[in-house]
Amino acid sequence: MTKEAEKKLRDEVRALMEKGTIERIVGYEEGSLKFTTTPLISEDKAGAEKLVINPFIHSNLSVFLPGLCGKVGIVVKECDSRSVVALIQDKQVERKDLFIMGVPCSGVIDVAKVERLTGLDRDEIDDIAWKGKKVAVTYGGNTKEFATEEVLSDSCFGCDPSGFKECDMVLGEAEPVVADKDSGRDKVKELEAMAPAQRWEFWKGEFSRCIRCYGCRQVCPVCFCDRCFVEESEPQWISPLPKWQDNLIFQVVRMMHVAGRCTNCGECERICPVNIPLGALTTKVEEIVDELFQYRAGTDKDAPPLMAAYKAEEIEDMMR
Amino acid sequence: MKKIRKQDVKGLLEKWQKDFAVFVPSSASGVSQMDAWDGKDMEFLDRNRNTAVPPKARFLPSMEKMFGFSREKDSYTLEPTNGDPPRQLLFGIHPCDARAIAIIDAVFKDAYDDKYYLSRRENTMLVGMSCTGPYDSCFCTSLGFGPSHSADVDIMLTDVGDAFMIDEVTDKGKELLAGAKGVVDATKDDEKKAAAARKSAEDKVTRKIDTAEISKRLPGAFDDQKFWEEISAKCVSCGICTFLCPTCYCFDINDEMLQDGSGGRYRNWDCCSFAVYTRMPAENPREERWRRVRQKVYHKYLFYPELFETIACTGCGRCIRQCPVNWDITQTLNTLPAGKREETKKAA
Repeated sequence: MTKEAEKKLRDEVRALMEKGTIERIVGYEEGSLKFTTTPLISEDKAGAEKLVINPFIHSNLSVFLPGLCGKVGIVVKECDSRSVVALIQDKQVERKDLFIMGVPCSGVIDVAKVERLTGLDRDEIDDIAWKGKKVAVTYGGNTKEFATEEVLSDSCFGCDPSGFKECDMVLGEAEPVVADKDSGRDKVKELEAMAPAQRWEFWKGEFSRCIRCYGCRQVCPVCFCDRCFVEESEPQWISPLPKWQDNLIFQVVRMMHVAGRCTNCGECERICPVNIPLGALTTKVEEIVDELFQYRAGTDKDAPPLMAAYKAEEIEDMMR
Repeated sequence: MKKIRKQDVKGLLEKWQKDFAVFVPSSASGVSQMDAWDGKDMEFLDRNRNTAVPPKARFLPSMEKMFGFSREKDSYTLEPTNGDPPRQLLFGIHPCDARAIAIIDAVFKDAYDDKYYLSRRENTMLVGMSCTGPYDSCFCTSLGFGPSHSADVDIMLTDVGDAFMIDEVTDKGKELLAGAKGVVDATKDDEKKAAAARKSAEDKVTRKIDTAEISKRLPGAFDDQKFWEEISAKCVSCGICTFLCPTCYCFDINDEMLQDGSGGRYRNWDCCSFAVYTRMPAENPREERWRRVRQKVYHKYLFYPELFETIACTGCGRCIRQCPVNWDITQTLNTLPAGKREETKKAA
């Protein structure tokens, strides 16, 4: 299924480049390590031959769009297409400059989860592959099967199969393996059950590890500000020192800034080098936005961005 | 050659704990790094892989107070931080990470002695562990050493199954083992096993670079903007590769001050991938991403060797393994243009 789509994708991209419909392609190619893919950003039609579709197409490639000029073809999973729409809404990219290509995705496999389940590191595993509704992991000569729920990336739970948003071309569709949204919010449930003091202690511990690499901000498609508040020095909003308090404030403010834009794609948590469960925050932010405003980021390119729109009936008491 | 049985290592650590703060590879904090030994956890004896956060953090912490200050009317009083750091012992440091520290020593005693770094360095004993599980991202053997290189530690241990072979590298290392219980003479068989373990580890390092070719090509590749733009296109300019690099030592200095004028001067890790790193009032010489990526490669592979006669990279592979987009420095190093592209074109 994905192999067919992969071939079709390569053919289509080559044709689009030959026709001049797109000047460059943003997609995935094989990574240099096992079970990884790496972004392919190419102006060369030979690049088309390197494109892949597999269960490890983690990156949300829309992050590259604001930095590219000309007509760009971009490969998206259904979830990432929402980030593209969010960028259009925020006028970071123009719809007319994009050729959006949706690829079939049954969910991406979270290799960190496979590592935890097997007690091994990624490079010690020989193979990870879909086997029907299960995932077969081969290591040390043995194959072990895991339920999809155990190894699927959190952001894939509750994947909305209603279709690709705004795609110019869809290269095949795949049923999401797990449609149960609740399975992806285990950490949120755990945190909701905590008393505030206990939750505070939890986040204090997590943010004590933060080294302020800003990886979370840099991979985030909707963290597109040219100037970020953390680097402002007059006034200085937070300390550049990685103290847990400032680390926490950085992340809380970031969450406030991306509320209404964040599609909970899971990239910030996936790439965090010190394993801070940022997905719990983005999941909760998305839920709060939905509850307060009945708004889902990146679902309508013509809708005004949540925080830029205003309705008279939204006036709060303090404003009257 | 001596050896120590695995079950006796705990006793050895307990003995050392009387004189040192003992640090071991641990994931208890939520990320693998050198953490204070809790007196119980011995998992690191069998799970011999590189920590995610390199041991350089024990010498150059992600943040440290340099001194405090207070103000009275118009004068400031400086308050030095409390004397020398406590004596520490890092157990299980890998050859690449020990090599990294030896490499960056040069910069901390170059123009002046950096007492913060050097006092920690002088107060630290390194008990190394031959690496038996190199990652697929490792390429140490291309950098003039290998997974069992022992020159940069005080004692080197090599796993031979139920015991560790002991290589006493320095006199201080010898002293550390004086009177230690459970240290016995190794057999010929042990030595064979150790040699096999070393060979097997070395064979696992399959990623290669050619440093001679790299140093030949780098000077001419600097102006090949197209090359640097292409290879940096997918970099997202985060700080992961540099912060987790065992030889990246850049820091920023910041003052924290209360309204009464008292406060402290701190330093914290900084990173050349950040656009603000070189931002100045009038201009930023490395505003574009490709210039920053180029800088990182040149600093490690050309500028540092010019200054200190060693490449500032140990091939530990963290920058490849931890990169959000799998940006792979070996791919860049292995595809450096052989000459200026324009000249090549003209010649053709």
